[in-house]
Amino acid sequence: MKRVIYLIILIGIITACLPACLKKDSYISQSEIPVVKEVQLDKYPLNKIFPNPKTVTINGVDYLQSQLPVGDYGGRLITSTIGEGPKTFNPFTAKDATSSQMANMMYDGLVSMNPVTGDVTPKLAKSIEVKGNKYIIHLRRGIKWSDGKPITADDVIFTWKDIVFAGLGNTSVRDSIIIDGQLPTIEKIDDYTVVFTVPKPFAPFLRILSNPIAPKHYFTSIPNWEKSFDRILATTINPKDIVYSGAYHLKKYVPAQRVVFDRNPNYYEINLDNKKLPYLNQIVYLIVGDLNNEILKFEGKEIDTITLRGATVARYKAKEANSDYYIYNLGADTGTMFLAINLNNRKDNKGKYYVNPIKQKWFADKNFREAIDYAIDRKSLVTNIAYGLAEPLFTSESLNGIYLNKSITGHNRDLSYAKELLKRSGFYYGKNGFLYDKNGNKVEFDLYTNAGNTERESIGVMIKQDLADLGISVNFKPVEFNTLVNKLTNTYDWDMSIMGLTGSPLEPHNGKNVWASNGPLHLFNQRPVGYSVDDRLSWEKELDYIFEQAALKLSFDERKVYYDKYQQIIYDERPIIYLYSPTRVVAIRRKFKNTYPSTLSGVLYNVEEIYIEKAKQ
Amino acid sequence: MNIIKYILKRIIQTLPLLFIVSIISFFIIRLSPIDPLAELRLNPSISQETLQKETQRLGLDKPIPVQYAKWASSFVRGDLGVTSSGERVADKLKERIPNTLLLTSIVIFMTWLVGVPLGILGAVFHKSQFDRLLTVLSSIGMAIPSFFFAILLLIFAVKTSLFPVGGLTSFDFDEMSLGGKILDLAKHLVLPVTVLFTISLSGLQRQMRANMLDVMDSEYIKFARAKGLSEWQVIFKHALRNALNPLITLLGFEFAGLLSGAALTEYVFQYPGLGRLILEAVMKSDINLVMASLMMGSIMLVLGNLLADILLIITDPRIRGVGK
Repeated sequence: MKRVIYLIILIGIITACLPACLKKDSYISQSEIPVVKEVQLDKYPLNKIFPNPKTVTINGVDYLQSQLPVGDYGGRLITSTIGEGPKTFNPFTAKDATSSQMANMMYDGLVSMNPVTGDVTPKLAKSIEVKGNKYIIHLRRGIKWSDGKPITADDVIFTWKDIVFAGLGNTSVRDSIIIDGQLPTIEKIDDYTVVFTVPKPFAPFLRILSNPIAPKHYFTSIPNWEKSFDRILATTINPKDIVYSGAYHLKKYVPAQRVVFDRNPNYYEINLDNKKLPYLNQIVYLIVGDLNNEILKFEGKEIDTITLRGATVARYKAKEANSDYYIYNLGADTGTMFLAINLNNRKDNKGKYYVNPIKQKWFADKNFREAIDYAIDRKSLVTNIAYGLAEPLFTSESLNGIYLNKSITGHNRDLSYAKELLKRSGFYYGKNGFLYDKNGNKVEFDLYTNAGNTERESIGVMIKQDLADLGISVNFKPVEFNTLVNKLTNTYDWDMSIMGLTGSPLEPHNGKNVWASNGPLHLFNQRPVGYSVDDRLSWEKELDYIFEQAALKLSFDERKVYYDKYQQIIYDERPIIYLYSPTRVVAIRRKFKNTYPSTLSGVLYNVEEIYIEKAKQ
Repeated sequence: MNIIKYILKRIIQTLPLLFIVSIISFFIIRLSPIDPLAELRLNPSISQETLQKETQRLGLDKPIPVQYAKWASSFVRGDLGVTSSGERVADKLKERIPNTLLLTSIVIFMTWLVGVPLGILGAVFHKSQFDRLLTVLSSIGMAIPSFFFAILLLIFAVKTSLFPVGGLTSFDFDEMSLGGKILDLAKHLVLPVTVLFTISLSGLQRQMRANMLDVMDSEYIKFARAKGLSEWQVIFKHALRNALNPLITLLGFEFAGLLSGAALTEYVFQYPGLGRLILEAVMKSDINLVMASLMMGSIMLVLGNLLADILLIITDPRIRGVGK
């Protein structure tokens, strides 16, 4: 009898639990969106001027001279990199951000940039003259590779001709400088002068010169170096064998744990006392698997600097006064969050439309797109999802971009205006409060994003709510990242989608793959590869023209006119509705001086100039 | 001589097994919707040509059976291929295997050292207060999810600063003296070992206790007692030897777990072992790396079972007939 009672109780418990499992598979219910208080943070003084280093010649050596205050030598900075760590130390084969970052510690490029303004400044090059299609590079005299061999024009020619133009390793640099199917040419004038000639004026070229320069004698000393190029500077290399030019060089790589860099005692940059930089003896990158672990490590004082996200900012801010770190709000970052609308009106090869023709009509309607834009409450997105650590965004260039069109100021949420726009296009409301188009079709479409990204999932839920106020039913469907990418780039069977892309704040031309009508990432109106029919919309034609022309102009002001226009077109036509740009918040321990963190370059950009006061080492 | 014949026979039987395992895993991975190039496709600065080149380099443009044949032929020749980022798979595994072995062998050694005696004690003092206490403790140990326990310990480490937050060595490990190095390793190992130890200890203790109880109940033990042997002799000479057989089989499985048993804990503690490497590889559908680790797991399992069977032949006269 006792057993029967136990059995009944057990069955009772199980049946009580079952409904939880059977609950309808709706992703996030409204109640789960956390209502949070905005975090108040002081803005980092963005007008803080970073003085560009100058060139000084001492005993025939063209040193680079830092213009920042003189600091103390010694100490070490520990930072972190998220993921699996570097895959290679070869700057030319690196494909991921971590590998390039590590490789670029050891190899300098011809030019660099001002971390605050983004201006191009000389690095390995002493100076650069631009004469129309020609870029005349004057190299520094007397500076050397780590093994004592001089850095000369031969190394530059080798790097560009034999590696980049030849298409060895990662070809993204090569791809970006093919102009009308032609590569630039390079020739040697003397040991310290080279000239690049581009087929026609091409503005982005100057920045591309920041590509690292390889030591010719070291690369060619490896037998069969071209064939085994992917293996040069592999992670298994003995650090003692590396020939480098950068401020730091690899000391030890411990897989999945850390990468240790030691100071280069013969670096060509000096301080105002004419003593050699860098100040810090060692830079350590701890390899951490995820964000949570990184935060724990910062809290456990194992790392010195960290980029803070979301909810953690408020917690750290509260502790800042009694701590040994400063928190800086660097302002809007390069990332953008947006809502893309599928304007595709083509058929697949089976004769079926990618997008339902009824929906096509809505999406092709400019008023409809504008109504969607006006119905979205960006302010509450920023407050509720980004914890206030973001800024509403209305432009396709990110807010820290140097080509940002500042005349686009955006708008607040305006439901009545949105409704009026819909009315103009013949949409009407049924008795049930839902929106119908002029042919009597209920307005209902799918909204996709990648599952697992909680930020985008929350945005989806809020946009669904916002559009419900317009009487639009949105089926919000978070799907696997791969599935989403396949939809966007291959099968085109989506209506709207929440995405984010990281653009370049310095060079709008890098967005050409998105904005050019034949671009491989022209998401909102993707044409299949090899599509030859010219069915461009009038403003797509205009965009094509702008991107072609703007690259030909060399002065900033001339280019700005074009890029302002392109942002205006995107804002007016709204094929992509921009939502917000997260702000970047970093924490740095107070003992570090001469730090110039910026969203353009991060925290460690001028690592050779950062020092720790003697008393705190 | 017979034993050698037996081993050879077993190894030959293994080959078709490995073949089937490899086919199933390869096809499952390749048929899953994971696209190794998904990230690249959404990168605005990647050109169409680069994407095509990558597709060719990874062999994704060929039909799956062809991909499999290519992989299998190089695997048989002992070449594990390269990862999707171009590093040698063998190098990657070589970097991680010692770390995982260090962790798992410490755990297995400690578990057996403590678990077996506790199991015997539990059985000998069956239904006593002591046995009940052990039962409660081992139930708790079995019930705690390992990742959750690991996270709790990690928070403990952060709050108290008694232990480092994950990893295996401190950043200045190379500058330490030998004693310092050992101490540093020990400090990093305490938490992950605690998690794995707690969980596997409970299982082993229960297993040993159950075996022992089974045996203690049997006729020959009653006979031994009736014969007037001391309790000590009954337990260690008659009961224990018979109770050990299932444990030897278990040891075979433990051997298989040497390289793959700690993945979850490794991940939480950011331990630089195989677990983290393989998890990442699966996420990115890095086929060569995943296949290498799967094959390694299968081979270890087969090998562990073989070892256990050989040990059984040695310890148990009743099984020796099999070899003949």
